[in-house]
Amino acid sequence: MSCGSTPGQYRNEAARTIREEPQVRDSVTKATLTFDAHRVEAFAQIDSERWRDWARDVKTHLLTHLDTYLEEAEAQLIANGAKVHWAETAEDALEILAGIIREHGIKSAVKAKSMLSEELQVNPHLEKLGVDVRETDLGEYILQLLGEPPSHIVGPAIHKSLEDCRELFHERLGTPVNAEPDELAAAAREALRKDFLAADLGISGGNFMAADTGTIALIENEGNIRLSTSLPRVHVAFVGIEKLVPTLTDVAGFVQLTSRAATGQPVGNYVSLIQGPKKANEPDGPEEVHVVLVDNGRTKLLADDEAWEALRCVRCGACLNICPVYRQTGGHAYGWTYSGPIGAIIAPGILGLEESMPLPHASSLCGACADVCPVRIPIPDLLVHWREKAVTAGLAPKSETLGLKAYSALAQRPKLFNTAGAIMRRAPLELGGRALPILSGWVLERAAPEPSAKSFMQMWEEGIV
Amino acid sequence: MSARDRILGRVREALAERKQEAHPGPFGGWRSEGEDSPAVDRFIQLFEAAGGEVVRFDDDAVAAAWVIDFVSKYDAVSMGRLARGPTAVGAESPELVLKSADPADSDVGISLAYGAVAETGSLIMTPQDGRRAQLLPPVHVVWVEEKMIFPMLYQALSTLGKDLPSAVGLHSGPSKSADIGQILVKGVHGPGRLIAVLLAAKRNST
Repeated sequence: MSCGSTPGQYRNEAARTIREEPQVRDSVTKATLTFDAHRVEAFAQIDSERWRDWARDVKTHLLTHLDTYLEEAEAQLIANGAKVHWAETAEDALEILAGIIREHGIKSAVKAKSMLSEELQVNPHLEKLGVDVRETDLGEYILQLLGEPPSHIVGPAIHKSLEDCRELFHERLGTPVNAEPDELAAAAREALRKDFLAADLGISGGNFMAADTGTIALIENEGNIRLSTSLPRVHVAFVGIEKLVPTLTDVAGFVQLTSRAATGQPVGNYVSLIQGPKKANEPDGPEEVHVVLVDNGRTKLLADDEAWEALRCVRCGACLNICPVYRQTGGHAYGWTYSGPIGAIIAPGILGLEESMPLPHASSLCGACADVCPVRIPIPDLLVHWREKAVTAGLAPKSETLGLKAYSALAQRPKLFNTAGAIMRRAPLELGGRALPILSGWVLERAAPEPSAKSFMQMWEEGIV
Repeated sequence: MSARDRILGRVREALAERKQEAHPGPFGGWRSEGEDSPAVDRFIQLFEAAGGEVVRFDDDAVAAAWVIDFVSKYDAVSMGRLARGPTAVGAESPELVLKSADPADSDVGISLAYGAVAETGSLIMTPQDGRRAQLLPPVHVVWVEEKMIFPMLYQALSTLGKDLPSAVGLHSGPSKSADIGQILVKGVHGPGRLIAVLLAAKRNST
């Protein structure tokens, strides 16, 4: 994974980010507070409780009838002239893409922002195949120039400041050192316009897919998705199997709710509703549209009696924006594509439980995410669910199990407890970290507080407390 | 067994013991505040709030004159296929024909919308008109007939759903992004100016 880290390194990466890149916390906090304020305003204009109930119920209905809707969508897409592929794993999805590239002799591709394509690691694969691939969402373009993965579902580059962008564009596109955001965007537009006009292949994800019409719905603000799915002669859309909704009229509700939850807009600036390749009476548009339906662990989540509810997710990012833990570090520390609260509850399905640890612990269980989720996913409950599963599977960190045992033994022996406390207060924690293996991980990630001179019990007896 | 059958098999296995839930019925767009104003007013309000521009006419000849005057300061104009048709006006004027260019080289694109949506402040763009003229020029002028403004998005989609083209685009304002330092910029990839030319339901059409 191009993140450079894995979920297993979360604690160290989170600590490192806060210590070494304090500007990330500033940028991420500023952006997420803005996103959330916009959501609050947009939700106040509607009967948001009713919208959320409706959306939860449609998705629950969909998921409990997923097999029949998948078959309906497939039949409809084929009737529309699109080609449908099924991918069990990321490798399968990439192999399907490679087949399309070989068949059409594709040399260059433009990509619309797609979290699934990040999950599948499409870009490194395209590079291996010798295809020039260009991310066209402005945020993704910035990250591609930097060689970084996105750090937020909706705003992939929110961890970068205006200064970061000025420096990058000055180096790579020759803009003035103090260029205004308008000038920077214009430079990107000019550079990417050439790529749009030259590309043979457009790659997108899919926010929703209507089973009754075989429609792929995509929401965006820049127009790069409309261009990526309109100009190149071949369009490949990667769509997770859970992205289905029963009807095109359901899409009407979901694009609005998702937009309001994500950015506070009544609807994204551009919504593309794609049925298939261009028809005879249409002057332009792709000649071939391929839809790759991707499982990659989603059926594993569906089989879990509690965690299947996470498959309702519409990827709006509202739970990231409200999360006090996410705000401290941004998304990179989580070590995989989907960060924040939602990432922690879908990781065990997609990556496996062991590979996902300790992400279900990367939360204070404050519950803010459940309060804002537009499809009412019980995120804190599912975090606890995975924590329990991890303990049952023997995946809880040894230090944690050992530490709890030691504490329990001490707490039952008052004299020993007091003696241990006295030692701890005198031994500086940094040294203690080396002396006590249980604490080494803890102190590596944190600045140790000054120990108190007296124990709580002493202070209590002296009447100080 | 194919990948398709294995995936569907796993889905069925996962759902075997799961209680099936019913569909809750159509989306109602439920609002906290009453919205009794006419659809065209609601469309204009949202479209302008998103940075779009609106001009209204109840006379086709006046509308055509406005568009011709508007493009007079530009050198190259591309016209969508439908925008040349009988519904729209002014398309045959020599001022426009002389400036006709490919969308990739045009300053202005002129299209005809299928209709619009009041609930979301969106123009409904269909591909029969040509997608490139809707997306490539930095300025996009769109004819809209007020009688084709749907109050709700689901109504528009359900009407369109009877004969769907290959792709529909809802355009709800000029192209924008806040990806650079969370500062809003316009015209990133799509048109930076989006102008809806509304033609009244009751009007003089010559």
